[in-house]
Amino acid sequence: MATQPKSSYANSNRSGSQRFSVPAASALQGAGWKWGMGLLMTYVIYGAFFVAEGAVGFGQGGDKARIVFFHVPCAVLSSVCYFVGMVYAVMFLVRKRDFASDAKAAASMELGFLFCILATVTGSIFAGVQWGSFWNWDPRETSIIIMLLLYASYLVLRGALSMQPEKRARLSAVYAIIALVPAQYLIWAVPRLLEGNHPTQVLTKASNTSLSYKLVLYPSFLAFTMLFVWLLQLRVRQMQVFADRRARLESENI
Amino acid sequence: MSRSNTEIDAAARVPSWISEASALLAKDIRAELRTKTAVSAVGVFSFASLLLVALATETLKEVRTVSMLRLPDIVTLTALEAQMRPAWDSPSKMGLLWVLLCFAAFAGLSHSFVHEEETGTVTALRLSMSAGAVYTGKLVFNLIVTLAVAIAITPVYMLITGMRLGSPFVFISVMFSGCLGLAGTATIVAALAAKARGTGALFGAIGLPLLVVFLILLINAANALYTVDAPLLRLTKDVGGLFSFGVLIIALSALTFPFVWEE
Repeated sequence: MATQPKSSYANSNRSGSQRFSVPAASALQGAGWKWGMGLLMTYVIYGAFFVAEGAVGFGQGGDKARIVFFHVPCAVLSSVCYFVGMVYAVMFLVRKRDFASDAKAAASMELGFLFCILATVTGSIFAGVQWGSFWNWDPRETSIIIMLLLYASYLVLRGALSMQPEKRARLSAVYAIIALVPAQYLIWAVPRLLEGNHPTQVLTKASNTSLSYKLVLYPSFLAFTMLFVWLLQLRVRQMQVFADRRARLESENI
Repeated sequence: MSRSNTEIDAAARVPSWISEASALLAKDIRAELRTKTAVSAVGVFSFASLLLVALATETLKEVRTVSMLRLPDIVTLTALEAQMRPAWDSPSKMGLLWVLLCFAAFAGLSHSFVHEEETGTVTALRLSMSAGAVYTGKLVFNLIVTLAVAIAITPVYMLITGMRLGSPFVFISVMFSGCLGLAGTATIVAALAAKARGTGALFGAIGLPLLVVFLILLINAANALYTVDAPLLRLTKDVGGLFSFGVLIIALSALTFPFVWEE
């Protein structure tokens, strides 16, 4: 059972689940990754309140702007996850029946959905305290709600095909590639078409942020990226366990 | 046997995919003229929603004017403009027309692939022609249905709501670009939904999120269309942006359709 050859899914039964194996653990996988991320995230949470000085120009001594350390990395990751997922979707289509890529694409999209929700909620809180209204149809607010919809519809398509893993992998990969068209308009065109009150250059210009701010913001990007990679590994492993268990159950039933 | 069957097939297929696509298109049009399923579904859906829109927007028709007595003491220019400009202007009307056409297209165009799956003719189609030919045939058919419905609906809509024409050439460009984007999106989503043997709900759920950005681009192009003396650069940029959406969707669909089509 354990040494089942990789090509076995080609001749597995019609509705059969697709087993796959992810490569053996590398130095960056497993507990080291988890502890590294955990320590860095602890520092970011501490640093957001005690290392960074309050941002200039925000009320209450800049305390309101401390949510930036969590909001901005989530917002960036919400689109990064999409591209990671799409690259794995393309890999699935190029290398025929590479179900490890399919699992990674799906896990990445699920995490993208999660980060999208986090970015929306933190952004809405920030907008509420800073601009006085929780929702303003600012271009970025519009973009993220559409992004949320795109992730949701990808997951709806996967859910509708949950009993046919091969078809699910193929069709959802195609959908991920098609949805790239609206996604790239969201990134490049929509913010330029609509008038908004989101700052576009405050964080990208180095002179705008003080040293104490950078000491927290940059580790925060790293910590959230590591969080994404760690969660991705966890989810892919979990999918692998599910696929194995299902394959075992099906072979016993036959 | 010096050449494998696939090689011979490939050699025979390259020049013939256009004739295969036109054969499929002719078949679809003949079937459509007999049953009129797609045109009647999309057409009746559009006219029914047109009626709903006409009733719902009846109260928006009156042009709002500002009474100088009712203005507060300090009036900013934008506040004044917001009060004087009726919100129900031509770009909004164009936006609503396309919301209506999007829903109508999604009500009717799923038929093209679902029908082949339901009647089992999909196997015959897969045996007799290449994926590229099937995609081209279905896309052109859907584009023709969308254009036909848009041509039938738009004049009536303009009569009911008083939407202006603007510059005729730009107007036609916007409408054609819109039809291209809508037909392109509906075709690939119909292919996906038919393979998933999904209900109409799935078709809408995976299709409409793709169209939200399309609608933003469309309203943007409509804004340029109805701006008096809009510079040529802005018209090219905004209408071209809308056109590029359809082109990109069709290009990516053509690349990925073989993966949807294979079994």
